[in-house]
Amino acid sequence: MSESKSEALREFVEAAKTLVNPALSDYKKKGGKVIGMMYHFIPEEIVTAAGMMPYRMRATGSEGTELSEGYFTQVNCSLVRHFFDSGMRGRLSFLDGVVSVNNCDHIRRLYDNWQWKVKTPYMHFMVFPKKTGKEQVEAYREQLEGFRSSLEKSFGVKITEEKLREAIRLHNETRRLQRELYELRKADAPPLTGTQTLAALVAGTCIPRDRYNALLKQLLQDCRAEKGGNGWKARIVVMGGEIDEPKFVEIIENQGGLVVGDALGYGSRAIVNDVDETGDPLAALARYQLVDRPADPRIFGTTFDRNDYVVQQVRDYKADGVVSVRLIACDLYGFEQVNLSKHLKKNGIPHLGLEIEYVIDAVGQMKTRVQAFLESIAEAKHDNRN
Amino acid sequence: MLVAGVDLGSATGKAVVMKNNRIVSAAVMPATTHPEKTARAVLKTALEKAGIELAEEVKYVVGTGYGRYNVSFVNENISEITCHAKGASWMHPGARTIVDVGGQDCKVISLDEGGRVVEFTMNDKCAAGTGKFFEAMARTLHCSLEEFSELSLKSTAPANITKQCSVFAESEVVTLINSGAEAADIAAGLTDSIARRLQAYVYKVGLLEDVVLTGGCAKNEGLVKALESKLNIKIARLPHSPQLCGALGAALFAEEHFLKNVFA
Repeated sequence: MSESKSEALREFVEAAKTLVNPALSDYKKKGGKVIGMMYHFIPEEIVTAAGMMPYRMRATGSEGTELSEGYFTQVNCSLVRHFFDSGMRGRLSFLDGVVSVNNCDHIRRLYDNWQWKVKTPYMHFMVFPKKTGKEQVEAYREQLEGFRSSLEKSFGVKITEEKLREAIRLHNETRRLQRELYELRKADAPPLTGTQTLAALVAGTCIPRDRYNALLKQLLQDCRAEKGGNGWKARIVVMGGEIDEPKFVEIIENQGGLVVGDALGYGSRAIVNDVDETGDPLAALARYQLVDRPADPRIFGTTFDRNDYVVQQVRDYKADGVVSVRLIACDLYGFEQVNLSKHLKKNGIPHLGLEIEYVIDAVGQMKTRVQAFLESIAEAKHDNRN
Repeated sequence: MLVAGVDLGSATGKAVVMKNNRIVSAAVMPATTHPEKTARAVLKTALEKAGIELAEEVKYVVGTGYGRYNVSFVNENISEITCHAKGASWMHPGARTIVDVGGQDCKVISLDEGGRVVEFTMNDKCAAGTGKFFEAMARTLHCSLEEFSELSLKSTAPANITKQCSVFAESEVVTLINSGAEAADIAAGLTDSIARRLQAYVYKVGLLEDVVLTGGCAKNEGLVKALESKLNIKIARLPHSPQLCGALGAALFAEEHFLKNVFA
């Protein structure tokens, strides 16, 4: 669907291109407080329940990493370098706080350096047990309890059980609407491209929630009347980590591969399950991050589930192949690509593995790889028909 | 009916003109700063060689190589990976592994029995193991690319060069020159270091015979021999210039797709 046909879509696409969108500026001007989620596994619902806005940190639009070089080793990934450089330049100075967990050594170092040099007024760190099980849920619940009291103390707010439940319901509503958007992608000619869909999901992490949910409803409405274009060479599922750059998907789509599904941190993995609305809300949030939602390779013992999850996306969204992506220097996704490529081969699903930097440049060779991959899928489809 | 394939590489432009599945003419020229200009010039040269005056006689043109997106007169563009597979299978039907060493990248392509691309791997941003590397090293040794290849074949004790990075290898070469090493041994050492890199790529997709070498660097017999000794196999020699493989594949697609459109 052309962006000119949907105001909501346009707002999402623009929001994903920048760090500060107009709705966020308004929110800040009215005195709203914003807490930065430094990467993955952080229950945004607790921040919403505190009457503040959770903001998923990015470094979109970063032009270099000069200010990071003195603080990271040469084996740290480009994501943390761009994040820190943006922090040093004040590009994320609208944040009133930052909260993080031990995602990986890179993010861990980012948090330390941020505390040391960027000095966002409120900073909080939680220990995330990277294993799925009852004890781990209890341990993480304890950490979330600590985060709750820390927010209460620092910002003079009261986070009641009722407020937590209300926040969970609100975030579940977002996920439900996003799942509706994903349902549309199963069609032969989906109204939205994969690039637009990822932009819509990234927008959900930086636009105040009430407005975002309203815009999502509007977008779904706009999509009802629309049919997408035909003539794609192949339908693709993308697998990767916390990719926040729709441009990556656009490169695949510009070569003729329609991205219909994904196993991405900002994508399906963030929306397929809801947080349990009954019982103890903090336990439900801990369980959601550790057990309920599709795992990330950071959680021990979930390899088979993760492989199956990707194959399931291929089946559900009628895809012809998988493109997996890894940030250079990310060991977790380096191993993930190897695991996955073997599993996909066993299942007869074509696979292309790509490596990117956080800021996507030098796209020439990537285009060649993607084009050749799509051509080989198209050729195989053609041969099978004859 | 004439068709053509134009391969716009980083170092050279190549054109192959075909008629009824046979090569009519071909040309190679250094790349200019505009793919469009290179494409027009190289195709014109190929046509002139065959005594064809009117470019209109060419009914369908397929573009490939780095400049493929920016040429106005091509009917479609196809990636060089797919084109090399096509061209190599046509020249050598038993080819199952293609090692393509071009101006700025190297690729290893694995084919099934029908000549279809099964898997491929390719270098990243760095120019190690490519024509650019050989150009820089030939410059350091004050010789042409042809002389470089001949030199490397003369060596009896190849120098041990561990660096594959164009920049660092150059300083290693300067050290060797100043310590009195023979140019032939340095050239052979450099060729060997690139063969090792290519060997790693071949093992990544899996070694299947027959193996063919394509791209401009395949003209370097020293490299062909070095890779043969690394892989411990015989590399099949092609009946036409390996540098034309991409353009040839593009021309073959041009013929197929033109006919498909006519009879569709």
